[in-house]
Amino acid sequence: MNTEIKVEEVDIYKELKTEFGGLGANSFQGKMQDYVKSGTPIVACTDDFFPELFEAMDLPFYFVVRQGLESAFHAGRGPEAVDGYDEFNGASTLCSLQKASAYLLVKDLLPKPAAIVMTSTSCDAQTAVNELMSNYRPWAEVPRISVDASFEKDEASMEYLGKQWIQTIPFLEKATGKKFDLGKFKEVCEESNKQTQLLFDFQELRRAVPSPIRAEWGFIAYMGCRWSACGRQEGTEWMQRLYDATAQRVKEKKGIDGVTEKIRYTWFDILPCWSDKLFPRLEQEFGAVNLMDLYGYCAPWPSIDTSSLESIFTSMAKRFLIGNPMTRQIFALSSVYGGDAVNIAKNFKCDAVIMPGHIGHKDGAASHKIVKDMFRELGIPFFVIGCDVFDERYMDPEVVYQKISAFFETSGLT
Amino acid sequence: MESIKSSDVFKKFSGIATSLKNSEIENWKKQGGKVIGYFCPVIPEEVFIAGGILPFRMRGTGSTTTDSADVYLKPVNCGFPRHTFNQALIGEYDFLDGLVVNTCCDTIMRLAVDWEHAGIKTPFIYSLDNAHAGGEAMVGHFRNQLQKMKDAVEKYFNVEITEQKLQDAIKLCNETKLLQQKLYELRKLPNPPITGSETVAVMVAGSSMPKEQYNKDLKTLLDELGNVNTDKKYSARLMIIGCGHDDTLLCDIIEELGAVVVTDQTCFGSRVMIKTISEEGDDPLMSIAGYLVLDVPYCPKTIGTHPERKQFTMGLAKDYKVDGAVGQCFISCDPWAAELYLLKSEFQEAGIPFIWFEREYIPDLIGQLKTRVEAFIETINN
Ligand code: SF4
Ligand code: SF4
Ligand code: SF4
Repeated sequence: MNTEIKVEEVDIYKELKTEFGGLGANSFQGKMQDYVKSGTPIVACTDDFFPELFEAMDLPFYFVVRQGLESAFHAGRGPEAVDGYDEFNGASTLCSLQKASAYLLVKDLLPKPAAIVMTSTSCDAQTAVNELMSNYRPWAEVPRISVDASFEKDEASMEYLGKQWIQTIPFLEKATGKKFDLGKFKEVCEESNKQTQLLFDFQELRRAVPSPIRAEWGFIAYMGCRWSACGRQEGTEWMQRLYDATAQRVKEKKGIDGVTEKIRYTWFDILPCWSDKLFPRLEQEFGAVNLMDLYGYCAPWPSIDTSSLESIFTSMAKRFLIGNPMTRQIFALSSVYGGDAVNIAKNFKCDAVIMPGHIGHKDGAASHKIVKDMFRELGIPFFVIGCDVFDERYMDPEVVYQKISAFFETSGLT
Repeated sequence: MESIKSSDVFKKFSGIATSLKNSEIENWKKQGGKVIGYFCPVIPEEVFIAGGILPFRMRGTGSTTTDSADVYLKPVNCGFPRHTFNQALIGEYDFLDGLVVNTCCDTIMRLAVDWEHAGIKTPFIYSLDNAHAGGEAMVGHFRNQLQKMKDAVEKYFNVEITEQKLQDAIKLCNETKLLQQKLYELRKLPNPPITGSETVAVMVAGSSMPKEQYNKDLKTLLDELGNVNTDKKYSARLMIIGCGHDDTLLCDIIEELGAVVVTDQTCFGSRVMIKTISEEGDDPLMSIAGYLVLDVPYCPKTIGTHPERKQFTMGLAKDYKVDGAVGQCFISCDPWAAELYLLKSEFQEAGIPFIWFEREYIPDLIGQLKTRVEAFIETINN
């Protein structure tokens, strides 16, 4: 990982973003409308548990919750989708991301799949939308498979999940007519291993003081490697370029352009869809730099063991349950959730930890006290907000900003 | 007898259902008996009974505030665990020697750690990993999870849970289920001798006292129900659908308005007694796992299982000849809210009026709830 290149930082990151857009356009998701038009079988699933399998089978897939994020919130239609959902009177406290996903579903705005694959993670809201999805009338005839993921993370539980996932192969072959080839699958998994190693190495770079780049790059890297180009060489190459560019900045001890880093903190949740109304202000006003979020955080992912079909799926189960962002923290004990926050704070030399307390995260809300006490012992200032990371109407970004400002001030960080 | 309310056995059940501590538990403890609290019917009480331990189904009965629990659980968390936890924090659960939680929902699955962290003096705390999807493939794995729980109970309480003891516990609990089935059968009558509120009390008591005594008392109650005057006419026969229906609030509202609740699809009601566990086979843990994964109607937190739940719920509506169904879920319970949302259109398609709402576990005000239920009953009667 020590490729020496001369970096013109602004341009290269711009380029990387453009290339990231290209990866997206070339992905299954990016070409979804073409598949719909041509009648190519599509799979709907509930999370990004094994993009490698879809890639190996050349099987277009989408996961419903990502639709809520991209087709609703990132497209500026989040509030409309949330309000639309509220009108049809579902669970009032459902995570707004899932409200948006459910809205897209019920309003027939999602491509009709040829098969549905569900795995029982990660949160109650996801379970609720799984049930809506698998019982959505126009999809009544669509074949479906439900897989149980263990809350426990021992070897037997990984094998249990892996074995169930193996059953998705004959299921998908039958439902979509696509063929599975073990050789191809191994190739994709090996490429995916390179990507996750790069993701991890990239994260290690981001520990540097000053922080070489903004936290959003963690999420972008994740999306590039897992959502757009998992197991594709073009994804690996893009990730390598991102790594190299960042390594160069670290070498040159360059911080974020235009920011004098004074406060290092972690935003321990998903990056808000209204990030642009918060983070730049905190950077400019306080020199406060967000180093990490949950999707940007890559706990060491076990690599996929490609020695046999069984080993592949068991190791993919491990990777999913103990590595995948959100699944790792949400479908787990408070010790894992809080432990990750502590690891980030220590490894990234954070001066403060901000827990946005996204209102959809009932699990997180039940752990705040425990995590708070962990930080009290460490002597690191810790703050819980209680906002909605998707729908800014729940708590105005201005209010969030004011709260964080007050927190920085009262903690003596300014 | 005008109503079962005047029966001593019923009064006993009602007293037990409306408080946490009761004289049966006191006697049990005086004799050196141990008590384990458990949160959900997916946790099999048979295992504790086989270990000579009294299982007590957790609830927040009697709670008036969540002030103490609010440090740990927030308003986005469901009121059921908040109130129950609060009761524990103020010492109302000091009779527990153990607590078993399961991975049933986002809040409950984190509760074991909160419980410990808060310093509540419950010496044994265990988390059971239950199945989150339905089907044969889950039975073996869940059996192994039950084995781990059994081993932990044996080790901590220094008891031996033999297969024979498990078989005996299954028989004992099956007897309870069969008696409760008889009770429910009576509710199929045109004018049931027992109301919905009264049934809730009987069912809740069943998970709050030793089973042998409960079975004895329930037999007496069933005999007495034969003498209850069944002339009373009701304006509508309703069913209740929802999660931990451990209070009589909704039934009281409905029944004060002249209708009667004749059945339910709830986790203190039909869900715990609709079937019995197989007494055949040489692996009782496997029988229990098979029963909990395949026989009992799936919990809405179990993905891909709505069709089975729908079939079960519709079946009850038909068997008990209901005129309408009332769904309730506690605010913040996403899985149940989705379930009720789906059931609403399915019931309506089947021509059965359906209403559902979210409510607080222990509401401050019931006026709005009452108004909605009243309007619903009027609609049915019109
Ligand atoms: S953001 Fe959190 S609560 Fe919302 S769907 Fe994802 S895991 Fe669930
Ligand atoms: S709905 Fe019933 S079975 Fe499901 S978690 Fe709640 S109490 Fe348990
Ligand atoms: S009612 Fe729902 S949210 Fe509340 S404890 Fe039960 S399963 Fe959890």
